[in-house]
Amino acid sequence: MKAILHVIEYDFTNFFRFRWFIAALITMNLADLFISAVVFTQMTSLVNYFKFFAPGLAVVGLFASAFMIGREINMEVRREIHHYLLSLPMTRRELAIGRVLAGGLRGMLYMTPLLITNFIVLRFPTPPQLLLILLTLLLLAIGISGVSISIAVSTTSFEKFVTARGVVYYMFFFCSSVFYPLSVIQVLATKGLEPLVAFAQINPLTSGSDLIRSFLLDPNEYVFSPLMILNVAVFSVMFAFLATFAYAKILQRH
Amino acid sequence: MGLKKLWLVIERDLRMFIQYKFLLIMRAIWFVAQVALFGLVVNKLVETAAAEVGISYFHYYVAGVTIITLYSTTMFIGYDIFEEAEHGVFEYLLTLPVSRRELVLGRSIGGGLRSFIYVGPLLVVVLSILGVLNPLHLLVALAALFLFAFGVSGMSITIAVAMKSGDKYDILIGVLDALIVRLSTTMYPQLYMQRAMPAYAAIANFNPLTYAADLFRWGTGVESALQFSPLVGVLGLFIFFFAFTFVGVVFYERRLEGGSWQ
Repeated sequence: MKAILHVIEYDFTNFFRFRWFIAALITMNLADLFISAVVFTQMTSLVNYFKFFAPGLAVVGLFASAFMIGREINMEVRREIHHYLLSLPMTRRELAIGRVLAGGLRGMLYMTPLLITNFIVLRFPTPPQLLLILLTLLLLAIGISGVSISIAVSTTSFEKFVTARGVVYYMFFFCSSVFYPLSVIQVLATKGLEPLVAFAQINPLTSGSDLIRSFLLDPNEYVFSPLMILNVAVFSVMFAFLATFAYAKILQRH
Repeated sequence: MGLKKLWLVIERDLRMFIQYKFLLIMRAIWFVAQVALFGLVVNKLVETAAAEVGISYFHYYVAGVTIITLYSTTMFIGYDIFEEAEHGVFEYLLTLPVSRRELVLGRSIGGGLRSFIYVGPLLVVVLSILGVLNPLHLLVALAALFLFAFGVSGMSITIAVAMKSGDKYDILIGVLDALIVRLSTTMYPQLYMQRAMPAYAAIANFNPLTYAADLFRWGTGVESALQFSPLVGVLGLFIFFFAFTFVGVVFYERRLEGGSWQ
């Protein structure tokens, strides 16, 4: 456990090296909420878009920041810094678990101001609701960190990593209820894009943002279901294991 | 000023652009995702509002995304300037038998031209989606987009030479990108910006992305009535182009002397 904590500390120190970059990302996220969402609110009568998008924004921020760990790991592999990491007095598994957890926890840290903004502009959840939100988002962040690490260790160049990251980003963001309600996404089915609609329904980002909405918006409109947590948990466990396995194995091979 | 030398500088920047192949592929994927996913779904979400202003939001958005793509790919020239400073290529460039002014102007034109070449195939796809009502309007709009691209290139060079660190440039460009795109009519009609927050609409009135996007929509016939006369749009883009190309040239020229980029 102590070794894992050291790895997490290492990744957090790296994270704060990018503090200006993080500040810029938060600015961009807030611009999305306080400019784009405010204007779109005037354009649709289906939902109050500002309120609808606020929880989605927290999930977008969580996703982007939890994904950053992959960029660092890809860089370490390319610059062969992993030799140093492998020389440390800890097992490969501890190192891999530490990296996956650190990626997730960094996502949670980044997302915190966005979640607090949600509480201020929407409403404060009850303590059990807050616990459920945090638990679900933590699981989601760990899963995203797992996806990112899996891609980072299986791509040999930074360009390939960036391209793969882009495809994953757009699939997860646009085929989810982060930006628009699931009911509206059905329009893609009429254009022959049924698989994307199916993906949107099982997308963990859909579960994450809808879970926050069910606690912070009208509960009659956004109904909480335990399946949301189950969906995120399955995603998280699956990709955390995959990333741990891939990271340990691929580092050994290098 | 030798046109041949100017062309050599432009040609070099065009060739340099190919090194961004993965980023360019990424931009293309982003474009497709924006059009085929976000555009289609949001079109459904805002169909009542779009009907109110007499437009198809999907068409409106496709035209806007084209301008965003043109803007963001033109901004790449600033990254080239940082790469060159970091790897000592600046010194090499200064030894070439090309005057400072030819070098700087060539970079500004090259930066705009290469992004126009990149957006060309996307533009063909976009025009096949949007159609063309009046070819003359389209020609005027495309000429205005050239001015826009060269102006953005000059802006990118001005910002790049005004900063000493590539990281700071990256961050500033990210924030600028977030604000300049969102406070323009690339994604939504000005009427709704006015309703949401009059200050947003006021800023959008002076945003070159607004002029470029609205002129492109006018050129393709997506919007028959503009908030401003097309002449005002062209004039706005000309001022933008003139200011940044020449400010960029002067700034870049000054920075080149005495190794102050180091």
